[in-house]
Amino acid sequence: MNNKDTTLAESKPAPAKPLPSADDPFNARFWDGLRQGRLMLQTCMDCHVPRFPASRHCPHCHSELCDWLAVDGHGVLESFCTFHKAYWPGFAADVPYSVVQVRMTNGVRFYSNLVGVDTPDIQIGMQVQAVFERVEGSDVTLLKFKPNAQGAT
Amino acid sequence: MNASQLRASVVGVGNTRYATMPELDAYDLGLWALKDALEDAGLDFSDIDGLILNRIPDYQRFAELCGINPAYTLTTPGHGRFSGICIQTAAAVLQAGLAKTVALVYGNNGKSAGARYGGESDNYGSGGAGLWFPYGMTSPGAFHALMWQRHMAMYGTRPEQLAKVSMAFRHHASLNPQAVMRKTFDLDAYLEARFICEPLRLLDYCLINDGGVAMIMTLADRARDLRQTPVHLAAFAQRSQFVDSTFPPEDFWREPMAQAGAETFAKAGISHADVDALMVYDNFSPTVMFSLEGFGYCPVGESGSFVQDGRLKLGGQFPTNTSGGHLSESYMQGWGLNVEAVRQLRGNCGERQVPGAEFVHYMAAAPVISSILYTNHEQ
Repeated sequence: MNNKDTTLAESKPAPAKPLPSADDPFNARFWDGLRQGRLMLQTCMDCHVPRFPASRHCPHCHSELCDWLAVDGHGVLESFCTFHKAYWPGFAADVPYSVVQVRMTNGVRFYSNLVGVDTPDIQIGMQVQAVFERVEGSDVTLLKFKPNAQGAT
Repeated sequence: MNASQLRASVVGVGNTRYATMPELDAYDLGLWALKDALEDAGLDFSDIDGLILNRIPDYQRFAELCGINPAYTLTTPGHGRFSGICIQTAAAVLQAGLAKTVALVYGNNGKSAGARYGGESDNYGSGGAGLWFPYGMTSPGAFHALMWQRHMAMYGTRPEQLAKVSMAFRHHASLNPQAVMRKTFDLDAYLEARFICEPLRLLDYCLINDGGVAMIMTLADRARDLRQTPVHLAAFAQRSQFVDSTFPPEDFWREPMAQAGAETFAKAGISHADVDALMVYDNFSPTVMFSLEGFGYCPVGESGSFVQDGRLKLGGQFPTNTSGGHLSESYMQGWGLNVEAVRQLRGNCGERQVPGAEFVHYMAAAPVISSILYTNHEQ
């Protein structure tokens, strides 16, 4: 969070950032999982390929059979970019901020943010692991990533 | 008819001004461009028996406004990749005998209508975009910024090399009276331009404007009898990369581009060295680099050194986007580039003419890959 001007922040609450759509029953289990500190992914019960976002049919084998399984939170940082323009007022105080593109060990990919690392220290190829970050003033938890302490590979 | 008579040909091209024109909607802009293209071809509205629209919302209303009842009608969404798709579809419609004279019409009032490519209205690629808004991820520009960052990390390409793309196109725009941005800039000015989504700067982004573009196509045997020097589609091909396309492709769309490029060159019976000018879809400048590699103009990972010494500039080996392209003429979603290909092959480009141009290659890198090779050769 920024702490540029706490006086201003106290007198006038910062505009909210966008939150996941509440009207998205397909992905509800994903967000429920994050709230409980677990990474849950819809997984095909026929070909066992996990997927996100959720969908009725498996894009791989087209089966409708699926379940939500807790998965390993490890991945690799494929790329990142740094926003200097705020597309929502809620991000105005954050620019420049970085978005990362992560590929999990199971192949599923996410856009997210890297916590605890300044932009100049972000490296493509870094090993990362999932962290669960509660959005203040809401019941939403976001999937973020931090460098993997054991990330030697 | 023999094979060369069965080729599809462009017999008329037209466009509006490119500017902010709040008094005109997409129908007005499309109709303006269509009148211009018909005049260019020496044809009348009543000659149109095939109508292919792009970005204009309603085909019925548009045809009603034109006062025509075409035999064949198609409308397509306002995504830039659809210019290539529409042109290839028009060729197929002509070759199947569904129509004899196809009008392709594009109208875009995005500037005045306040079209936004990032933020709440972002639906680039999939309806899933909203899932990434909480992380601040949005816009096609960011998608390409992620790709370019990765390209730099993998191959050592540098900002000073990418700069040469938008610098060359701006130079071309300075020779094109209808280009929106005509003031040239140097490397320092490029590097000093503000970041929008780093590593991409303002000068790596296309220019949103209002405008319209139209093309008239027939088969080659009919084209010969019309007003203009016909420009033929020597060959064309299309591929896609939709699997996992919510995220940037691992290979920068290289595989589908390689396939489309190989098919195009094989059908046309020519090689890269025979191509006189390139029209490369430039929504963002890195797309040009990915295209040069994917379509085989340079080896994988070497687009940086390939462009750095002026190869893309007029007078260079492959003059590219001689109109200024999306980066400097105007973002007309591929249509302006295809029209420029036709004008080059007719020799109509004045100061920016590529002398003796015989083959021009239009290529677009996106989840739909298009490759169209235009020629003025009669055989």
